Amino acid sequence: MEDERFDCIVVGAGVAGLAAAMVLARNNMKFLLIEKGEFAGAKNVSGGVLWGNDLARLVPEYWKEEEGGWERFINHRRLTFMDEQSTFSIDFKSAHFNQTPYTGVVVLRSKFDRWLADKVQEAIDASDFAMESFIAPNIKVDEVLMEHDKAVGIRTGEEKFYADSVIIAEGVNNLLTRQVGLQDDYVPADHVLTGIKEVIRYDQKVLEDRFQLNGLSGMSNEFVGYATDGVEGGGFLYTNRDTISIGLVLGLKDLRKKRKSPHDILNHFKAHPVIADTIRDGEVIEYSAHVVSSGDKRLMPRELYKDGILICGEAANLLMNAGKAIQGMDYAMRSGILAAETIVKAKEKGDYTSRTMKEYRTALDNSYVIKDMNGFQDAVHMLHSPQMYKDVPNLICDFGRKFFSIRNEPTRKSRELMSESIKKHSSYWDLVKLGIKGARSL
Amino acid sequence: MKLLNLPERLGLVSYRNQARSEIKPHIVVDTEICNTTCPHKATTYVCPANCYTIDDHGKVHFQVEDCIECGTCMYACDQGAVSWNYPDPEIGRGVTWNFG
Ligand SMILES: Cc1cc2nc3c(=O)[nH]c(=O)nc-3n(C[C@H](O)[C@H](O)[C@H](O)COP(=O)(O)OP(=O)(O)OC[C@H]3O[C@@H](n4cnc5c(N)ncnc54)[C@H](O)[C@@H]3O)c2cc1C
Ligand code: SF4
Ligand code: SF4
Repeated sequence: MEDERFDCIVVGAGVAGLAAAMVLARNNMKFLLIEKGEFAGAKNVSGGVLWGNDLARLVPEYWKEEEGGWERFINHRRLTFMDEQSTFSIDFKSAHFNQTPYTGVVVLRSKFDRWLADKVQEAIDASDFAMESFIAPNIKVDEVLMEHDKAVGIRTGEEKFYADSVIIAEGVNNLLTRQVGLQDDYVPADHVLTGIKEVIRYDQKVLEDRFQLNGLSGMSNEFVGYATDGVEGGGFLYTNRDTISIGLVLGLKDLRKKRKSPHDILNHFKAHPVIADTIRDGEVIEYSAHVVSSGDKRLMPRELYKDGILICGEAANLLMNAGKAIQGMDYAMRSGILAAETIVKAKEKGDYTSRTMKEYRTALDNSYVIKDMNGFQDAVHMLHSPQMYKDVPNLICDFGRKFFSIRNEPTRKSRELMSESIKKHSSYWDLVKLGIKGARSL
Repeated sequence: MKLLNLPERLGLVSYRNQARSEIKPHIVVDTEICNTTCPHKATTYVCPANCYTIDDHGKVHFQVEDCIECGTCMYACDQGAVSWNYPDPEIGRGVTWNFG
């Protein structure tokens, strides 16, 4: 039925799909947002910090809301190198980051996505299609319907829904992107990681005192070295209101090669003496895991559009992780916004073919998302090199131990100590090579 | 702080349709491949819910009940034994995260 036809069907109410839906609603489009979970966010896992300021574009002045969907804003950042006994951190805290708009907020997806979906519903209610646009949870899309290689709708079980366009925002395990032929049916383990995490609860006052949090301020901490037990990847610890999120992202190919289990490595990380001190006395209230992209461009689908189709968020493997932060949610948000803007234009023009869809690709290429992915590929590769997740953390901690030991003996010059640590864990030549790579990549 | 083992961890997960006796499995594994040609049996150690196990005779078994839909096995198995899909909201299993 033509009058049942939507301008757009968005698959997936994660960050990308919700951002797209918000823009569609604001532009008076008739759309359907389909989510397989019981509610938006029910199936989603992140660390996670939502970096940057795009959230304020979707929900202006979101920080004014007392019971907003976010946990804490970040004003304290820490990057920690670990060996077996020690940690050596670069620690930065600044009152600059206390000002709104915040530069990053910690979120728990089951709460955040649901809150954002409520905001989308408000935008739908205020639109011309208040009664004809829907957020539909509990429905799994089985297939994108194609006619003459153009998307015309979706199928779920026996039911079909028709639309002029489909935005695929299904996340990293992108079955529909594969079905429409933009990604291979089998994606090898080479450029994906398994993310694994626990949420640990504390008395809120204990948490705030332990991490020096004030009001709703929060801390983000990334880890390299011992945390991952010799497997490529890294660790994270973020503060929520009265919980912390602690976990790891582990290169899947390397896990397979080294025959290790992600859940064992998480316990190895938690048992480290410094981490054990940091997290003591908490109660684990959730254990979760999810695959996450590495940020390597080789993982990306062949193209991000097709007649009547746009792919956004991690379905398109848009992600950056060069060690200092994981950026998947902000990339999802921006790409969702750009995808929806393209659909709005397509409706104005009455042309949903690749000619218009391609404008999404151009907009994405010109945005920080693809610019950073292009610019920091070397940094992504470097993070996954054994020097970075093994040698460097070991030698930094070795140096730290000597530098900070005071022994009532003549004190040795740091240069001498450093060269000793380097010889023990690496070689000058390797470090020079790494230094050159690092200087180029950052 | 006490470290949790895997069953304790999975005990914290909210699964859908937990009371249902019959569920439709969303992942199907051709264990014939696991037990004949697979050189590494990677899924038996990389699955974060331990859905793939090896018995005393070295045979691989798969159960979908504990699956937390992470996707790991879909990439880790390079032998073509895993047919992976999302669970059906009505008659499948799968997770509902309380925090995520
Ligand atoms: C352990 C871990 C830590 C992370 N830490 C961070 C961090 O600190 N900061 C950060 O920015 N990113 C982080 N990420 C990455 C981030 O979580 C993802 O990049 C982000 O969630 C991608 O958003 P998305 O909307 O594209 O996909 P998703 O959030 O995966 O959403 C996809 C949605 O589509 C739905 N869906 C899929 N298929 C169908 C279908 N067929 N029918 C109906 N619905 C469907 C799903 O149920 C889901 O709701 C982390 C990831 C992990 C695993
Ligand atoms: S890796 Fe594949 S073939 Fe090998 S045991 Fe696992 S599921 Fe079976
Ligand atoms: S999807 Fe994840 S939890 Fe489920 S069986 Fe595969 S690896 Fe295990």
